[in-house]
Amino acid sequence: MADIRFVLNGKETEYHGSATERLLDVLRNQYRCTSIKCGCREGECGACAVLIDGILHNSCCVAAGAVDGSSVVTLEGYRETARFAALEKAFAAVSAVQCGFCTPGMILAAEALLSKNPHPSEDEIREGLSGNFCRCTGYNAIVNAVSGAAKEGNGLW
Amino acid sequence: MVNGYTASSLKEALTILAETNAVPYAGGTDLMLENRPGVKYLFLKKIPELRSITADERYIRIGAAVTFTEALASPLVPPLMKEAVSHIAAPAIRNAGTFGGNIGNGSDKADTVVVEFAADAKARIVSKEKERIADIDKVFLSRKHLGLSDGELIAEILLPRKGLERYAYTKVGGRQSQAVSFVSFAGVFGLENGRITNAAAAFGAAGDAVQRYRDIEKSLIGKTPDEAKKVKADYLRAYEERILVNQSRVGPEYQRIVCLNLLNDFLSRFGV
Amino acid sequence: MDKISHSVMKKDHAPKVSGRSVYVSDYPPEGVLCGKMLRSTVARARILDVDAPPLPDGYFYVDARDVPEENAVEIVLYDTPVFCRETVEYIGEPIAMLCGPDEKTVERLRDECRVRYEQLEPVLDPNRAQETFFEYKFGHGDVEKAFAEADKIFDETFETGYHEHAYLETQGMMAEPEENGRMFVHGSAQNAYYIHDAVKRVLGCGDGGVHALQDVTGGGFGGKEEYPSILGCQVAVAAHKCGKPVRCVLDRREDMQCTSKRHPSVCCYRAAVKDGRVTALDVDVLFNAGAYSTLSGLVLQRAVFMAEGVYSIPHIRVHGRAVKTNTTPCGAYRGFGAPQVFFAVETLMNHIARDLGVDPLVFKAAHLARQGDLTATCGRYHFPIPLPAMIEKIDRACGYRKKAVSYGQPQSGRYRRGIGLSLCSHGGGLNGATENELTKSVVRLHKNADGTVEVLAANGEIGQGLRTTFPKIVAETLGLPLDKVFYDHPDTARVPNSGPTAGSRSILIAGELLRRAAVKLREQWADGQEQEVEEHYHDPDFLIPFDMEKMEGDAYPAYSWSVSVIELEVDTLTGISKVLGAYGIFDVGTPIDRNIVMGQMEGGFLQGIGFASMEKMAYDRNGFIRNNNFADYLIPTAKDVPNLKTMLHVESYPFGPYGAKGAGELPLVGAPAAYLAAMEQALGGRPLHHVPFTAEDTILALAKEER
Repeated sequence: MADIRFVLNGKETEYHGSATERLLDVLRNQYRCTSIKCGCREGECGACAVLIDGILHNSCCVAAGAVDGSSVVTLEGYRETARFAALEKAFAAVSAVQCGFCTPGMILAAEALLSKNPHPSEDEIREGLSGNFCRCTGYNAIVNAVSGAAKEGNGLW
Repeated sequence: MVNGYTASSLKEALTILAETNAVPYAGGTDLMLENRPGVKYLFLKKIPELRSITADERYIRIGAAVTFTEALASPLVPPLMKEAVSHIAAPAIRNAGTFGGNIGNGSDKADTVVVEFAADAKARIVSKEKERIADIDKVFLSRKHLGLSDGELIAEILLPRKGLERYAYTKVGGRQSQAVSFVSFAGVFGLENGRITNAAAAFGAAGDAVQRYRDIEKSLIGKTPDEAKKVKADYLRAYEERILVNQSRVGPEYQRIVCLNLLNDFLSRFGV
Repeated sequence: MDKISHSVMKKDHAPKVSGRSVYVSDYPPEGVLCGKMLRSTVARARILDVDAPPLPDGYFYVDARDVPEENAVEIVLYDTPVFCRETVEYIGEPIAMLCGPDEKTVERLRDECRVRYEQLEPVLDPNRAQETFFEYKFGHGDVEKAFAEADKIFDETFETGYHEHAYLETQGMMAEPEENGRMFVHGSAQNAYYIHDAVKRVLGCGDGGVHALQDVTGGGFGGKEEYPSILGCQVAVAAHKCGKPVRCVLDRREDMQCTSKRHPSVCCYRAAVKDGRVTALDVDVLFNAGAYSTLSGLVLQRAVFMAEGVYSIPHIRVHGRAVKTNTTPCGAYRGFGAPQVFFAVETLMNHIARDLGVDPLVFKAAHLARQGDLTATCGRYHFPIPLPAMIEKIDRACGYRKKAVSYGQPQSGRYRRGIGLSLCSHGGGLNGATENELTKSVVRLHKNADGTVEVLAANGEIGQGLRTTFPKIVAETLGLPLDKVFYDHPDTARVPNSGPTAGSRSILIAGELLRRAAVKLREQWADGQEQEVEEHYHDPDFLIPFDMEKMEGDAYPAYSWSVSVIELEVDTLTGISKVLGAYGIFDVGTPIDRNIVMGQMEGGFLQGIGFASMEKMAYDRNGFIRNNNFADYLIPTAKDVPNLKTMLHVESYPFGPYGAKGAGELPLVGAPAAYLAAMEQALGGRPLHHVPFTAEDTILALAKEER
């Protein structure tokens, strides 16, 4: 049987393991993409979010076989981009990172939102982040950070 | 691939289904919660026939592997369904979750299924040998019970093109997003020449079932809203006796009261 | 704003935001055994035997027999075992750990273990508990006389439920035997020294035989105060037996089911009212401690010490008990016993005021403690109490008084509104004499020859910003740029014990020690030399020493203050309430970094709102917690309280670093009472008595009203 072929952070790769493995585990264990965090393994918390063909997914609820032929982006790849730099700066400006465990998922959720809607309202930002739990911040700082990135990063999205 | 099959056409998928014990995998959001050891998946994402939203004279046809996010972007999907879909979970789940999967996982809390019950939706079911169109309540029987035979796959959900303009939908959950429904309600109202033609009311998440009581609905059909008002108390009492409730995330009394409140509000909105 | 309050980029920002930070689950798996816990499925039983499957090479079964020394985890007492003794005392209690290289194999082996139990009758109702872990009584004045002379006596009972920390990173620890024979234990934690001391005792190895490191930690909120000591001992025992590194990271359900939470409480308050004033309080606090004592004694102490709220009541008697039930042991959680009693006393004051026909805020203001007044424990409020000014500020910000009048009118219609306000304080530091007599914190500053300075302390960065705020204090004092001062995660092999990351004490106590150390270093500064200075804690001179026998004296050196307002709208058809606005004003002294402090205030406030509204957790008649996952235990999302506004009021504390006081816990404490008061108003003014107050509670209350 053919292997699972996909593009991970811009590089083509083949995965030889079971198609039923969780993408979360495959990416963390086989590919060492440890920016992806496991918060619940049940699709609730968003800490394991990745972009599949540019669309936000919780990688705990994606079987490895489902990404055959797709392009997967994790923070390991995304952090090399100018968009990330804008988000990083905006998150720093308002101290939107506390324990940091939700942050990788938040960053990718913010990217997914801004790539569809470069100038979101506060409500739209909250909707865009609504599948990513944060227990530290109360969300205000993160919402402000995304809003700030949208303003400062004008043209990037 | 190991423990998985990818099909690029419906025909190929049905052959695999007929010949193996693979489990159809659409969005994965429910399947992966359990991710049963030893399971093999049949990945449906690359099958064009299952991924389109089209319309014919009578129906809006939503492919079983269409995601909730895709449905929200489609001008064809009726507002009632969009309203329900927009309240499902959060973006990442809506990006993955599908219409077929929402029926196929057999959850009484599936928000689109409640709408399908109220809308008199149908499903196109296909297998290697044949295909058939079935009413939604013959496909989704009750929690974890589907009216599907081995080798059968849900291909499309058929929503009527007309008659869904007057509706009410409420999802009641414990928070503003990422909420499993405590109770959900979908109602569709029809009025022609001053007389009620439809008063479909479907309840989800209460009593482990999706519920609709056509016999009670009938008591309003053919009446003017004013006439219907007069029998409304009896009508509500009939529901109170019939609605199934249980102890789940919320208790039976809560489920009953909220179902009746939403039903009452639905009728009131349309002058009953 | 003070110079030190200006926000800087947090020192751990770059590694965290880019996903490069290494949490305990992120260390490469090669050579590390995975540990999975075999747990009790019954609430109380004698273990007859465990039938484990044959273990492949390289796989291990670890249980109490493998504990080299005593099977007891040092917390406060020693009743918590590393692995269960002859009996199991709650569902989820660890019986053994299966270890091996492949996670799935370990899981399968664990699942194939068959435990034979002789079931015993569990105690699940705290009111019927047979064992009291801790009990405290104290008071002052003549309570009996005050009640005898009262115009009216109020007698009300308040209940709060479990509150789960729901830190995003579950508990996880790792132990690695080192070549020199030392055991290295590290992971997600608040207190490396707690782990160090507990493991030392279990392995019987002395201080040199172990060191503990706090890894980057994905949230704590008190949940990683004592629990990592237990998990740390378990992995250390396993690593000791296997001779290899062992890591155990809990899954979410396991974490929610089996690790500590906020104590469910029943608080009975009796109040004597004479001439429109509360003259006496008689308080009885009951905490459901769960199966082992852990930190319940200290949590209960804070509850009873704060039972009077922000008021000065002439006659007071307080009685508190933490009792054993066959349920998950409860422990520290942000607020540490205070949220339960503040919920009770604030709600009680509202009820009394309404019964007397007085505006609750006017009534409360008339009872406020003032500088110089006695505390419940006969200590003193040594410093100004800024609540009156804070009340005015928040009223201006959110229109509380006007809205309270408006929503107080009879409401009909589907949507009904209410607004509620609560007044709270939070004493910084550990209870009573603990800081001075037990903890005896020590900090060091190490100056390198290149002029950089390292902070050596044991307080853990758990998101609250210590890796930034400690260096800020030191850099400011030394007049150095911030990039010359750094603070790494503490390793007990390198740092002195500056006490736990708890009790809103890190800045207040350790931060002040660091400031003093920096002053000392400044005085002896010699360019190009390596230098080290050390500073030891002693109580400030103004403090009335605390007598733990009599429960008398200053329970805390300084208090932080809050006014919390919650405005909500109830949908009477569904019971769902929407928080229209959550407004908080907090005095935590000088903020050491404004963004960081605001982040604490907002995050804590939202946790409190969750506790009051949607975060419901309970066990069934078998003692099993059903709400053990994120679909059934609901924490707020970004959409739940969009309008959350917090402000600071600065009443600087002369004995804190640059005027700072305790900050971390305060913002949570006031939320439950404010939320319930708003709910009472929206539902027409009938007194309510418990949190969380859920949609289901709302519908049942409305149904009751109709009958």
